[in-house]
Amino acid sequence: MIRRLSFNLAPGRILGVVGESGAGKSMIGRSIVGALPTGFGITNGTLHLGGEDMVCLTPARRRALLGRDITFVPQEPMTALNPVMTVGAQLDEHLKRLGILSRSRRRERALQLLDEVHLPNGDALFRRYPHQLSGGMCQRVLIALAFAARPRLVVADEPTTALDVTVQARIVQLIAELQRDEGTSVLFITHDLRLASRICDEIIVLYAGRSVERGPAASLLATPAHPYTRCLQLSAPAMSGSRRSLFALPDRMPGLAALAAMHGCRFAPRCPIADADCRTVDPPDRTAGQSHLVACLHSNNLAGIVVPNHAIMAPTNTGDALLRLDHAGKRFRTRGRPFQRSGETWAVRDVTFEVGAGEFVGLVGESGSGKSTLARLVMGLEHASTGRILLGGRDLTRNASADSRHRLHWAQMVFQDPQSALNPRRRVGDIVTQVLQAGWQPMDHGRRMERARLLLAEVGLGADMLDRYPTQLSGGQRQRVNIARALCTLPKILVADEIVSGLDVSIQAQLLNLLARLRAELGFAMLFISHDLSVVRHLCSRVLVMYGGEIVEEGAVEKVFADPQHAHTRALLSSVPPDEPEAAWPPLQQSAR
Amino acid sequence: MTAPRLLRSGRVVAGGALILLVALSALFAPLLAGHDPSDQDLLNILLPPAWQHGGDPTFPLGTDSLGRDEFSRLLFGARVALLVALTAASGAAVLGSVLAHIAGYFGGFVDWLIGRAVEVWMSFPPVILSLILMVGLGTGADRVVVAIVLVDWTRFCRVLRVEVLVTVRRDYVAAARLAGFSHLQTLTREILPATLPLLITLLSLEMGIAVIVEAVLSFVGLGVSADQAAWGQMIADARTSFAQAPSTLLVPMSAIFLTVTGFNLLGDGLRRTLDVRLGAARSA
Repeated sequence: MIRRLSFNLAPGRILGVVGESGAGKSMIGRSIVGALPTGFGITNGTLHLGGEDMVCLTPARRRALLGRDITFVPQEPMTALNPVMTVGAQLDEHLKRLGILSRSRRRERALQLLDEVHLPNGDALFRRYPHQLSGGMCQRVLIALAFAARPRLVVADEPTTALDVTVQARIVQLIAELQRDEGTSVLFITHDLRLASRICDEIIVLYAGRSVERGPAASLLATPAHPYTRCLQLSAPAMSGSRRSLFALPDRMPGLAALAAMHGCRFAPRCPIADADCRTVDPPDRTAGQSHLVACLHSNNLAGIVVPNHAIMAPTNTGDALLRLDHAGKRFRTRGRPFQRSGETWAVRDVTFEVGAGEFVGLVGESGSGKSTLARLVMGLEHASTGRILLGGRDLTRNASADSRHRLHWAQMVFQDPQSALNPRRRVGDIVTQVLQAGWQPMDHGRRMERARLLLAEVGLGADMLDRYPTQLSGGQRQRVNIARALCTLPKILVADEIVSGLDVSIQAQLLNLLARLRAELGFAMLFISHDLSVVRHLCSRVLVMYGGEIVEEGAVEKVFADPQHAHTRALLSSVPPDEPEAAWPPLQQSAR
Repeated sequence: MTAPRLLRSGRVVAGGALILLVALSALFAPLLAGHDPSDQDLLNILLPPAWQHGGDPTFPLGTDSLGRDEFSRLLFGARVALLVALTAASGAAVLGSVLAHIAGYFGGFVDWLIGRAVEVWMSFPPVILSLILMVGLGTGADRVVVAIVLVDWTRFCRVLRVEVLVTVRRDYVAAARLAGFSHLQTLTREILPATLPLLITLLSLEMGIAVIVEAVLSFVGLGVSADQAAWGQMIADARTSFAQAPSTLLVPMSAIFLTVTGFNLLGDGLRRTLDVRLGAARSA
């Protein structure tokens, strides 16, 4: 799986491991802590910590090292803590293992640790259970546990991926701060090149188990030497400057089975500048600058990577409002305890906005800000408690059955999680033409498959996909099926809920280019919900910022991003690492939450 | 794609083989039986099985206190047992799962109403409830079926409702609604396929339960009519004579045991092979 990977991590440094899913990032972390899945093993090479060989440790010695000298910050903070133990008990247990015998000393140290990770009110927190904390707080507790032993090495496996952007900035800042104060070495595993370049001293770029480029963060970002690194940079939407086309790498990373049969450079099949040599010769590591290594035969030839210029026409509002929300709100009853009055929560409160024909409007906000509820209101999956919702001039607030037939041809939704959005028991061809199957006079199978073939071609999938089940598709392909299904009725507006969030950068670029092309061909409007500001900036002309169920800011993308008015918009914007390497990030004045 | 996977499960194969055996003997009972199950031969009462001392080869498993052939009664009893198992379990499954899908899918007041009905229903002891029903309905195999359906639909309703609740929250169900599927279409095309594995599993277990309930009711004389051969009646008849001829008790008991074991093995095997979550947990 992983081949010819070597690195040195000096004490007190942060090494970033960057790669897309399937690149083998987590395998590195797992081989260090000795928790490789069954069927995998270290076949050759060595792994030393201090002077100690980690490959042939006795289990007892490994246990002694883990938790003391090597600690782990996991990807899913909510599931990494024991749900039936209080935070205090978990800290106490860990400290007891570290050898602090007196109960009061342990408590003292635990409070000090919580203070170090900027969790105020340690006393109150002690009695809380993990489910009573937010994801960011859980991750802080885990970081406190990881740094409690003053370890020599901390392995952080995607520590911010499951968290909100605004929280991500603070967590990254926290890890960097503790690392600096304690002089710990950190192995920072992430898929986000931009984020890694911000906090790491050195970066390894991993592709299909092979380290393709390694070097100091600054030089690697400023002058990438491997085409893959360059393509990753080009496929992420920019946060500043003019909008540029995205470079979409074709296809996806080869799987384990394909790797075994491959000769030469593993990136060659997708590489824009590969030639015949690349397919036969496994490129050796070459020097590309000071302590900057690259495994590519053509690393001097990166200028050959040109982004095909897709027309990114700024979609314009043609005047007439397609979708109009008029003081719309959604109230949920929260169930109280017996003999208590049930409370009310407004998930969406007094929202008014319009989407014009052919216009792409972005809707941004943290999780829990009401974005998804708003989408469900528009689609009639929830009934509005107040206000009106107009679609194509027709009032759909009452949500009668005649209304849903009207809605069918005007609006469709692309769901967030293609895993959940595609019925695992139906074939792709049936899924995309679901609409034609509905009602009492469904279209016959042959004609539906004809339509399905056209739709799949439209989203760049072959006709061989028709008879597959969703579980046989990759994440990117599933999301394409998801989009194809929504396009079946040729709706005038698409509501897209975080449709590129879970995907790798190169797959995300493919989908964003696809959406831009479909917009040019079909001319639909879109309400694009995302927490990723750079994607919204790339795709949309107008943006709505949601916070606590209300729209707090609205305006043209350029204007809002350049001159945010609301405090929350500013917080969102400042949490994204800027493109310019010299700009300071993370912003240090933010207080802990 | 699931058929070969099912055959690789030892439980499914073993359970299936047992049930097949019982089913074949029920089906070909008139051909296999040497005697009419209600023919009395008062000269040959309480004969031991043929292989024991004093046994008669024309009565392979011996005779009961009225000289009826145990083997023939066993075969014809299998007909009653399987008939009741199939129809009663299916009936309970249909009633319970329809209500479960309605409750889980629509939620709100309907869900509340069905949920409370199930709770009230389940707080009656099932044996007492079926006895009361049988007293009201009278005897006969069809009455037994009705009684089992009315008692055991709650098992299906309770378990399936939760499964429906989980499935309803999937985005593909919302997507089907947005595609203009009616409630009925959404239920049958999107939700039922997801709950079907559980339904099949429960159905198999319920058949085992139905065999026992039928035997219990026949034992107390409230099951099938007295002139019909049934396993429960064979046990009841053996009450007075099992000291002299233990086989009269052991034969029907073994039949019940094997049949119920077959259904349970089959159900457990189906649960393990059809449940996606268990499969995922094992391969991870």
